[in-house]
Amino acid sequence: MATAAVTPGSAGGNGHGSVAVPDGGGVMRRLNIGTGIVSGVIVAAIFWAIFRPLLHSPWADDAVVNLTFLGWAIGFMVGIGAFTGPLRWAGGRDLTFEDREYMAGRGQGRSRYFKFCTDHKVVGWQYLVLGMTTLGIGGVMAMIIRTQLSRPDNHIVTPQAYNAIVGLHGIIMILSLSIIVTGPFGNFIMPMMIGARGMAFPRLNALSFWLLFAGVIVLLSAFFLGGIPTGWNVYAPLSLQGPAGMDAYLMGILLWALSSGIAAVNMIVTAITMRTKGMNWGRTPIFVWGVMATMVLSLLFFPAFQAAMVLLGLDRSIGTSFYDPNGGGSQWLYQNLFWLFGHPEVYIVLLPGAIAILEIAPVFARKPLFSHRVAVLGIVGITTLSALVWAHHMFTTGWAPALNGPFMLTTELISIPTGLLFLVILGTIWRGRIWTTVSMLFVYSFLWNFVIGGVTGVYLGDVPLNYQLHGSLFVTAHFHYTLIGGGLMGFFAAFYYWFPKMSGRMLNEFLGKVSFWLIQIGFNVVFLAMFFVGMQGQPRRVADYAPRFATGNGIATLGAYILGAGMLVFLWNVIVTVRRGEVAIGNPWGGKTLEWRTTTPVPLDDFAELPVVVSDPYTYGEPEPQPVPAIAGAAGAPGTAPPGPNPAASSGEAPS
Amino acid sequence: MADPPDTVEKDASASRIHVRRAVLLWVVITVLGIVFALFVPSRVFPFQASSDATRITATFIAFTVLGAAVAAVVWAVAAYTLWAFRSGSGGPPESDGPSVRRHIRAEAAWITVSSILTLVAIVWGLAALSSVSSAASSDALIVNVTGQQWVWSYSYPDEHVNSPDLVLPVGREVVFRVTSKDVVHSFWIPSFGIKVDANPAEVTQTRTTPTVPGLYEVRCAELCGLYHSYMESQVKVLTRSGFEAWVKANGGKVEP
Repeated sequence: MATAAVTPGSAGGNGHGSVAVPDGGGVMRRLNIGTGIVSGVIVAAIFWAIFRPLLHSPWADDAVVNLTFLGWAIGFMVGIGAFTGPLRWAGGRDLTFEDREYMAGRGQGRSRYFKFCTDHKVVGWQYLVLGMTTLGIGGVMAMIIRTQLSRPDNHIVTPQAYNAIVGLHGIIMILSLSIIVTGPFGNFIMPMMIGARGMAFPRLNALSFWLLFAGVIVLLSAFFLGGIPTGWNVYAPLSLQGPAGMDAYLMGILLWALSSGIAAVNMIVTAITMRTKGMNWGRTPIFVWGVMATMVLSLLFFPAFQAAMVLLGLDRSIGTSFYDPNGGGSQWLYQNLFWLFGHPEVYIVLLPGAIAILEIAPVFARKPLFSHRVAVLGIVGITTLSALVWAHHMFTTGWAPALNGPFMLTTELISIPTGLLFLVILGTIWRGRIWTTVSMLFVYSFLWNFVIGGVTGVYLGDVPLNYQLHGSLFVTAHFHYTLIGGGLMGFFAAFYYWFPKMSGRMLNEFLGKVSFWLIQIGFNVVFLAMFFVGMQGQPRRVADYAPRFATGNGIATLGAYILGAGMLVFLWNVIVTVRRGEVAIGNPWGGKTLEWRTTTPVPLDDFAELPVVVSDPYTYGEPEPQPVPAIAGAAGAPGTAPPGPNPAASSGEAPS
Repeated sequence: MADPPDTVEKDASASRIHVRRAVLLWVVITVLGIVFALFVPSRVFPFQASSDATRITATFIAFTVLGAAVAAVVWAVAAYTLWAFRSGSGGPPESDGPSVRRHIRAEAAWITVSSILTLVAIVWGLAALSSVSSAASSDALIVNVTGQQWVWSYSYPDEHVNSPDLVLPVGREVVFRVTSKDVVHSFWIPSFGIKVDANPAEVTQTRTTPTVPGLYEVRCAELCGLYHSYMESQVKVLTRSGFEAWVKANGGKVEP
């Protein structure tokens, strides 16, 4: 809270541009994303120039590429000012209060979005823009893939380019979806939701975002280095043959994993220690539970992926043979490490979206969340079981046939806690007063789509059925129904719900509904058709197929264009809204979580007076709980309290 | 919250009507789903030419019947709430819904039913798995399968035949010993419902019994490089005598 908790001198205006610039910042005044990129490129070039002549083995190319990426990451992080604080401290001139205020973005207008900024709201925006950009890039690749597959014997792209794009599409989308809810809303909204004035470790928060940015640039550079022609799972030994795009993949993953670990620690500590007075676990909004569960999964399982990538890097760079069977290694070692992370990763994508749905449904049904305890049970059950199912991706690999039975058992069991989430949503909307905003429409689309993803997961968990369906487009359709039908629909619901708080403007409901129907219809057409061609026997990741799959593929491509059109309408809506949308009031939906109790735009320090909580935020249809008079004037922990109540920052309601 | 008693009674009867209508909707959707399950998947799947393929189709149909009933619960309730409880004006609702935070019977019923259904899926799967993994019969035909970028090749160790084509006798169990010369491939015969990865320096195994003579597809189901899309060959299932004739024609010997 240190840097974000400041006296509310700026409250009332938008809190940033109108204030006189305090004396602070020092060298940070000159550092931004531009200096970061320049410095990154320079250090990368230096690393390349040093290591290229030094290394002569047949592996030299990959070693040099990896070291060059490392140089980029170090140079970028230094150049954007990520280490200014520690360096100043080491040099005996630690940051002053004014410096820290500068780092939190005070008085910098829009430029703070391009800087190493410790304000959780700025970081939330940065994640949102990065996530939507990568989603767009991955989406364009999806359109290329579907265009190539629109008819058999098509030659829009070469087989080589096709394979390269399929892998890139996969990993970019996995990355985008895993940050698209926890990044923007976990950072912007969650601290306010628990009545805090920021994250527990604001500098680590900025560090985690910019590490991710550096990693995304590395990952995207694969596009110019031969792509990722191995599928997103990059199975060895094929990945040992692959082009330098593989090195971009593994270095990108290492940076992303580092970023995720830092973000996870930060969010878990924030959620545990910074909840406001009165917010015990029973009163903590379900979204916070979901973010915590997701972050626990990140923290526990990204290291497996990191280990897998380090060994892959060694195999490619210096000729070890961890994964090369001809050198005594094992492709099954890679597969286990990969899926040890890869399956929890599915839930890292899914849970935040699903939990956003749980948070939003009560607001638009005007009913309390049905059975908070069952919801928590479901979240904890999914989190626990998701650690024990990874080898269901390996039923057909021949690794351990004797374990197929046990892994089938754990896999099918996970449908019980997942079902509990459905019970909670259905129980919440049953007999509610349904307000069909665009956000609520996405709650319904989640229910429709995710149940298809869930049920087909039971099919794939069945070992004999998996022998037939594994590696076919049936699998592709299934996981798109969970990741898009669950994760991305949850994101859209959350986006329409929280964007007014983030931007101060209301999204256009008409454009929202147009884009909703295009997305919902297009999505179902693509992936229902894909289930059918998968059942017919079309393998995934093929650039060409037999004529008997032509009908299903043609329909799927048509659906993909409808889906793409929906995404464009959505993007148009966002652009129009940001430029001249209707101004949002503080609480347009009648939400009862704490982020709706502060003004819009949110002042730099979030709350003029820290709220005190006397109930959970789902008190629809119940008398408004009264705050305990003795602590009604309490304003948070000593030392961080503003000098007095600030009329401009209160929504006029009693804090509850 | 201090509703007069007659409101409470009206409320309870309204609740029963809502439940009855939603159940009716559930029945309709479930019936449609079951009709779909019985008629569509068996026609979409590739021609079923082995004992495994038949069993897999049966499993798919059974799971679709159960899945339809489950999905119908979600869809029926969702659709019904959208139809019956929608706030009229399109704007913010004027009042809140009832404050229902728990319903022990509904929770208990949900957990019980979903556990039973999951148990059914698990028992079904374990039973099918045990029959798939039982020991091969002693007179099974052995075929060594080798994948390499981007072709399959086959050899018959007992018959001393090497072949670029897979030829099998009908009605005799066949054991495939699968390996790879380079990267990971996956040996898949959609019409037989079998698949196992071809790993370098390892031999994996799968088996089945072809039941219908004919010509079927062999696919690679694991991305294996540039021409993965074209890594396919055919399996020819012949009568026993036809198979023996093929073995002899290729210089092999037929065991008595």
